[in-house]
Amino acid sequence: MGVTVLQQFPIVEQRTGPSTIELLTKRIVALGATQQGQFLVDCETYSSVPQLGAQKTVHVLHNSEQPATVFSILETGSKTIPLITDGLFDLLMMKMSNFYQSKKQTKVESKGPRFEIGDFSVKLGSVAVSQNFKGILVEVEYRPCIVPAMCWDLIREFLQGFLGSSVTSTPPPYLQNKMQEVYTPNDTIQQYLEHFTVYRKSHFKM
Amino acid sequence: MSYSVNISVEAPIENQIQEITYDGQEIYQAPLTLSESLAKYAQKIDFSKINELETKKEPGDTSDDSKSDSDSKDSFQSNLWPWDSVRNKLRSALQEVCVLADVLAIAKDKRYMVLDPVQQEPVDTKPIVQMYARKKALAGAANVLLTGAERLKNSQNEAVQNRSNFHFELLRLRQNWRLKKVSNSIIGDLSYRTAGSKYSQPGIFEVTKAEDEEKPSSPPHSPLPGATPSVKSYSALRVTVPSELQGVAYISVLCQKDQEDLFSTNVNLLSSGPSTTNPDVHWQQKLEAAQNVLFCKELFNQLAKEAVQLQAPIPHMVVGNQIMATVLPGIQLIIGLCHSTSGDKKVPASTPAKTEHDHVLEHSLHQLLREVHHRNTHHPFPHPASGPLGPSKKRSLAGPNATDRYDLLEMTKSETLLEQIIKQAQHFFMRIRIGYVLDTIAKEVKDPLICSHWNSLNSPTQSCVKINIITHGYDVVYRTPLVIHIGEKTLKCICRDGKVMHMSYEPQELRDLIFCHINQHQILAVQSLAKIMGWQYLANSLHLGIGSVELLGNASSCILASPNGDRLIAVRCVPSQTGVQVSVAHSPRSDFFLVD
Repeated sequence: MGVTVLQQFPIVEQRTGPSTIELLTKRIVALGATQQGQFLVDCETYSSVPQLGAQKTVHVLHNSEQPATVFSILETGSKTIPLITDGLFDLLMMKMSNFYQSKKQTKVESKGPRFEIGDFSVKLGSVAVSQNFKGILVEVEYRPCIVPAMCWDLIREFLQGFLGSSVTSTPPPYLQNKMQEVYTPNDTIQQYLEHFTVYRKSHFKM
Repeated sequence: MSYSVNISVEAPIENQIQEITYDGQEIYQAPLTLSESLAKYAQKIDFSKINELETKKEPGDTSDDSKSDSDSKDSFQSNLWPWDSVRNKLRSALQEVCVLADVLAIAKDKRYMVLDPVQQEPVDTKPIVQMYARKKALAGAANVLLTGAERLKNSQNEAVQNRSNFHFELLRLRQNWRLKKVSNSIIGDLSYRTAGSKYSQPGIFEVTKAEDEEKPSSPPHSPLPGATPSVKSYSALRVTVPSELQGVAYISVLCQKDQEDLFSTNVNLLSSGPSTTNPDVHWQQKLEAAQNVLFCKELFNQLAKEAVQLQAPIPHMVVGNQIMATVLPGIQLIIGLCHSTSGDKKVPASTPAKTEHDHVLEHSLHQLLREVHHRNTHHPFPHPASGPLGPSKKRSLAGPNATDRYDLLEMTKSETLLEQIIKQAQHFFMRIRIGYVLDTIAKEVKDPLICSHWNSLNSPTQSCVKINIITHGYDVVYRTPLVIHIGEKTLKCICRDGKVMHMSYEPQELRDLIFCHINQHQILAVQSLAKIMGWQYLANSLHLGIGSVELLGNASSCILASPNGDRLIAVRCVPSQTGVQVSVAHSPRSDFFLVD
C-alpha cells in the first residue's frame, strides 16, 4: 500500500481508445515494466427514494486491488461519508433496493492491464460509462511510501516520463489537501470517484 | 399513698362464649340457674378436708387447755390416751355414717330432700383413639430407629466393600470421561472430537459390570490412576475398548544421515506403557492408553495425508507405517507409527537400545496437533451472526481494513504439520552444525579467542548466537562482535560494520566468513594497539591485491611507524594460514628484510 496518483490521459483525434492503451503499453514496457494481470475499478451509484426526504446518493465502488473490500461513499448534499466494509455490503445494498435505487445507465468502470516496474505499479484503465468508452485513466502507485508530500515529485517525474506534458507539476486537487497525511486506499477510491463523476457529466452533455 | 383507690375484683358479667360463628357472631352459654350454680359450688366443697381440720383443732384445743392446767397432767394424758387418734377417727366415721343414714332416711322420704344428679364436666376419654395414637407414635419412633440402623449398616458395608461398588466406579468414570446410556448399555467416547479433532475414527468404548465375583474378599485398596499396575486392583467395572484401539502406540521420529541413525525420538504419551490387553489393568489406564492410540493414529494419519499432498522438490515417501522426508541434502526424517496390540514386551525391548533420546521433536509433534485442535474449537471473537465462522481474525478484518491482494494471498497460505516439523528438524540440524563449526574453529584458532554466546530465548525455528572475536590479554583494545541468526535453511550474519551476510545451510560458508573476520580482527587489533602505544599508522588494506593468490579471500596488511620514526613494521595476515607475517625495517636502510 503506497501513494496512488490518478491521471487522465487525453486521446488525440486520430487515435482510438484501444490504440492509445497499446501506445502507453509499449512505452511502459520499453521502460522495463512487466505486466501483472488485469485490474478493474467499478462504481455503481444509488439514489434514495423521495419518501426518505432529501435526496442522498450512495456510490458503491470496488477495486480489484482490495478484492475483499467494498467502498461506499454516501453524499448527503452537505457532506460525504465514506464507508469501508466487507464484501457482504453488496448483499446489504440489494436488500435496501426499496430505499436506494440504482440509477439507470450509471455503472462506470475502469479496466485494463496492470504493470509493475520496480517500486511502481502502473494501471492503464479505459473508462467506460455503461459500456461506452469515455477516456483513459492512468493510475500510478509508489508502494514504499505512504505520505504523498514525500513522494509526489518522484511520482510526477515518473508520470511525465511516459505520459509526457499532460501531467501537471501540481498534485491532483484531491491530494493537495492531504499532502502531509497518511495515504489510505480510500483516497484512491475518492480520486476515482471524482474522475468518474466528470466522465459521467460529459456523458449527460452528449 | 394518700390517694388510695379501692379496687373491686369481680367476675365479668359477661357469659362464657360457647362458639364464634364465621360471621363473627358470638354465641354465649346460657347463664346457670340459681339452683344449678348452688349445686356447682356445693360440689366444689371438699367436706372431708373441713372435717379433718375440725378434728385436728379439737385435740389441739384440749391439749392447750390441759397445758394451761398443769404440765404434769399433760404428759399423763398423752400417756393415758395412746389410741386417741384412732378413737377420733372412729368417732368421726361413726358420725359420718350416722349422718349418711339420716340423710338417706330423709332422702328416702322425698319430702324434705331430693337427691339430684350434678352435671359433671365431661372428660371425653376415648380409649380406642388413645390406643391408636400411642400405636402410631411408637411406630414412628421405631421407624426412625430402623432407618438409622439401616444407614449405619450401609455405611459399614460400603467401607467394607470400598469402592468396588459398580455405581461408585461409574461415578468416578463419569467425572473424567464422556458417557451416555444407549438402551441397556453404557457407551463412552474417548475421541478428541470435543477438543476440536476432526479425525473420523470413532473412539467408542463400552462400560459393563464385572461378572467375575470370585474375589470379593480381596482387601480393599484405592485403585488410583497413579497406582502401580503390579498391584492387582479389583474393579467392579469393565471397559471394553475396540480392538483397533487396544495395545500401545507411539510415534517414532528418526533422523537418518546416509543410512546411519543420528538420533531417534519416540512420542509416547504414556511413559510406562503397560500392556492394556491384560484384563487386570485398571480402566483408567486402559482408557488412557486407548486414547493415546487414537491420538497417535490421528497424528500419523494427518502427517501421511500431508506428505502425499505436499509438492516437495524431493517427494516425501509414505510406505506402510513410515513417512520419509528429506530435511537437508543427505539427511532424512523418518516418522513412523508403532502400534502393538499383542501386549507382549517385545516393543519396549527395541527402544532402550536407542539411548539418544531427544524430547524436542516429541513435544513439538504433540503440540502441533494440539494446536490444530485448539484452533478448530476456538474461533476469534467477535462472532457476527451474519458472518461466516472460521476465517481468522485478520481475514475478517481484511474487508474494513482494505487489505490488498498480496496480504490476502499471504493469509491463504498455511503451513501443514509436516512442513512445520520438517522446518523444526532443519533448524535443529542447522543449530547442531553451527555449534560444531564454532567449536572446531575455537579449537583450531588459538590466537584470537572466539567466544560464542547462545541466546537462551529462541523459537523452534529460529535461534541466535553472538560471537566475540577477541585477542587474549588485549580484549579491551579491540573486539569483533558478530551476530548469527539461524533460520531453517539459511543463516544471517550481522557483522561489526553492519553488513548483513546471508548464507546457506553449508557449514563451510560460515567457516570461511569467520576466518575472514579473524583475519580482519588481527589487522584492526594491531592498529588499535599501535594507536595506544603511540605508533604512527601509515597504511592499511584489508584486501591486498599483491602477493600470491590466496585460497580464501585476500590477505590484509598494515604498515606502522615507531614513535621516533626510525622503525617501520609491516604486518601481513592471510585468512587461510593461522600465522601472521611481520616485516621490520630500520629507517636508515631503505631495504626491508624478512624476520620470520
